[in-house]
Amino acid sequence: MPTTYGNRTLTEWLTLVLGVVIILVGLFFVIGGADLAMLGGSVYYVLCGILLLAGGVFMVMGRTLGAFLYLGALAYTWIWSLWEVGFSPVDLLPRDFGPTLLGILVALTIPVLRRMETRRTLRGTV
Amino acid sequence: MRRSHLLATAACATLAWAPLAANAQFAPAGSGGAPTSTVPGPGNGSSGNSFEPTENTPASKSRFSGPSPYAPQAPGVNAANLPDIGSMDPNDVPQMVPQQSANPAHGDWAAYGHDDSQMRYSPLSEITPQNADQLQVAFRYHTGSYPRPGQVNKWAAETTPIKVGDGLYMCSAQNDIMKLDPTTGKEIWRHNINEKYESIPYTAACKGVTYFTSSQVPEGQPCHNRILEGTLDMRLIAVDAATGNLCEGFGNGGQVNLMQGLGESVPGFVSMTTPPPIVNGVVVVNHEVLDGQRRWAPSGVIRGYDAESGKFLWAWDVNRPNDHSQPTGNNHYSRGTPNSWAAMTGDNALGLVYVPTGNSASDYYSALRSPEENKVSSAVVALDVKTGSPRWVFQTVHKDVWDYDIGSQATLMDMPGPDGQPVPALIMPTKRGQTFVLDRRDGKPILPVEERPAPSPGVIPGDPRTPTQPWSTGMPALRVPDLKETDMWGMSPIDQLFCRIKFRRANYVGEFTPPSIDKPWIEYPGYNGGSDWGSMSYDPQSGILIANWNITPMYDQLVTRKKADELGLMPIDDPNYKPGGGGAEGNGAMDGTPYGIVVTPFWDQYTGMMCNRPPYGMITAIDMKHGQKVLWQHPLGTARANGPWGLPTGLPWEIGTPNNGGSVVTAGGVVFIAAATDNQIRAIDEHTGKVVWSAVLPGGGQANPMTYEANGHQYVAIMAGGHHFMMTPVSDQLVVYALPDHKG
Repeated sequence: MPTTYGNRTLTEWLTLVLGVVIILVGLFFVIGGADLAMLGGSVYYVLCGILLLAGGVFMVMGRTLGAFLYLGALAYTWIWSLWEVGFSPVDLLPRDFGPTLLGILVALTIPVLRRMETRRTLRGTV
Repeated sequence: MRRSHLLATAACATLAWAPLAANAQFAPAGSGGAPTSTVPGPGNGSSGNSFEPTENTPASKSRFSGPSPYAPQAPGVNAANLPDIGSMDPNDVPQMVPQQSANPAHGDWAAYGHDDSQMRYSPLSEITPQNADQLQVAFRYHTGSYPRPGQVNKWAAETTPIKVGDGLYMCSAQNDIMKLDPTTGKEIWRHNINEKYESIPYTAACKGVTYFTSSQVPEGQPCHNRILEGTLDMRLIAVDAATGNLCEGFGNGGQVNLMQGLGESVPGFVSMTTPPPIVNGVVVVNHEVLDGQRRWAPSGVIRGYDAESGKFLWAWDVNRPNDHSQPTGNNHYSRGTPNSWAAMTGDNALGLVYVPTGNSASDYYSALRSPEENKVSSAVVALDVKTGSPRWVFQTVHKDVWDYDIGSQATLMDMPGPDGQPVPALIMPTKRGQTFVLDRRDGKPILPVEERPAPSPGVIPGDPRTPTQPWSTGMPALRVPDLKETDMWGMSPIDQLFCRIKFRRANYVGEFTPPSIDKPWIEYPGYNGGSDWGSMSYDPQSGILIANWNITPMYDQLVTRKKADELGLMPIDDPNYKPGGGGAEGNGAMDGTPYGIVVTPFWDQYTGMMCNRPPYGMITAIDMKHGQKVLWQHPLGTARANGPWGLPTGLPWEIGTPNNGGSVVTAGGVVFIAAATDNQIRAIDEHTGKVVWSAVLPGGGQANPMTYEANGHQYVAIMAGGHHFMMTPVSDQLVVYALPDHKG
């Protein structure tokens, strides 16, 4: 029997916290990225921010789709960064290291999100 | 002039999310200038500088303004209360005897840059790339100068000892002079000069002392051999090399008051930090004037004194080009003229002193400068030591408003001429990373120099820029290409995005982006970029030139007078001035101009990391004998002592940190250098660039190392004094290394 807090397990709470973190990052990306795009800079951040925001919201809602949206944003990030700076480790570091670490955590939440979805299906709330 | 704040930076990939903060630069504070295609004349100030207030100009009533430039000099500004020094005819200067620095003994290091050429080359060869990894500490010497409780850390000793015969001569950060036993570090004598803390300008530094042999005092008599020093509180001091006692026959009891003729000032406004060169019996002094204070700061005058008697010989006052005398009565040398704070180089054969100049006071606004000032700022000026008149001038930046003043000392060497005959040459490194190689007889470039267009959109009204700037196309540029948005760095995409926005919000059209008031502008290379006071070392045998340099952009903005007042900016001589009211390298009042200046590193102010990608510091070897090719080049300095929020990461990654302090090259094929903010000293193979040895110092190694031989063995000395601006730990230790079995 897993530890429960209210009617959620610890891993479910951690998943929620991760979702909130991704929402905050997404907000920063959308707001700052819009600013940057309007200043004539890269549009990557605002586009990626929309994916992150959506991903975070779905994760908080306990939807597996949220995790996949994040992983999609991560794939976009890698493709974009390789396009922008090539295989230069120093330049890939700020662009991909943090998001990839976060991506590992997000991947770990997929079973948790599945369980949450299944539970809701059983309750008929999906 | 020099720097402020930190530039400590680094790597370390932690998953850290910077706060969600808006760009915190200053809000637009006024109207920008309209773009102009006007070609400016040599200057906007009229000849003779009629903008300078006169005795009858009423002093400003604002509490943010300094006193009238005609106010009398307060008594304490002449630190030792010395009487005025008399003048003598330069033609009466006695013939100088050959000096130690002209041809140092094999194991000596007789001048700041080893000898009169200032090559920083030693013929010693005991230490080689093969055995350098065995170097051990032979001894340490404590100078006793470091910040005491309650004192702001303004320390950066930057000292290089000299070694002549049986003594190692050096100064402390506060100008006490000492002679040490070169094998043990034992103090043979020490001359305390009792300098006050208030006299420390931006930085407590004493780069070195000068050794002089008199032609008038017979051998064996006191002061036949002398140590000369210029001090932070503007004294020129001569002591006997054997005993450390003041030379009574020099100046007033061994001292000359260098505040004479400078007029209104306060302690810490003007100061000397470099060893004065002695050319054909003339000791030449320059001084730094604190940046950013006011348009009518004390003069940047260069003066010559008789090295025997200390009597005044001539002055080179930019705005009084035909008057080489000392001002009398209530007069003073013309104010606000370009100052020179770098070490100067003497040339006995040509009777010249090569003066690397800085900028007129109020660095970032040029509309009040005279044509005379515009001709000689940020230039190499060859002054005739007989007259104090320039024989030639080579300018490295026209109408400098970027603080690209020259910090480096010129190095003298021979370049192969067109007919195979060697041409007496001079290498002048600059903060722009452009290295100029000039014929020292006439100042003409030996390697090609091109005047290239310098786009300058949106200039400040009434202060147009020049259409072109000089580029040394025959030498490898010690810089990276102009910054792009994709060069922005960080620990994560969060701080990278922050820096990208910062980059896009600023004006930036390359190296000569003009100052702006509507929004910040990026200054790259910044005032700590390229080559600074560490200068370069040159091996005349191999023809290899060693240069360490910085990639440290700045983020600056002019502000209206109202905004400057709101920021509390005021000149140092304002009676209301308190520390923090505008400093040398940070924000400045620029009182007397329409604008103040806000200067910050181009960084993420929340993490303390630079916005641009590493490296931030590099070291380069250039083959001067075969087409000025880069032999090797790599980042200098690891991330071990740097990181976000100023935390050391301990990482051995050679990220390339900002560095200050130069190198030494030896016949053994080893380059010694500290300089980087990782607080290490390194031995590098001159031919391959491989680091063959490194050791951690007790403080920052922001000083030029030197090497000498004593008792038959080679020693390497470095002042690990630290540097407040580079944010490296301060210590008062001179650390001297040698191979095992030769420990003192």
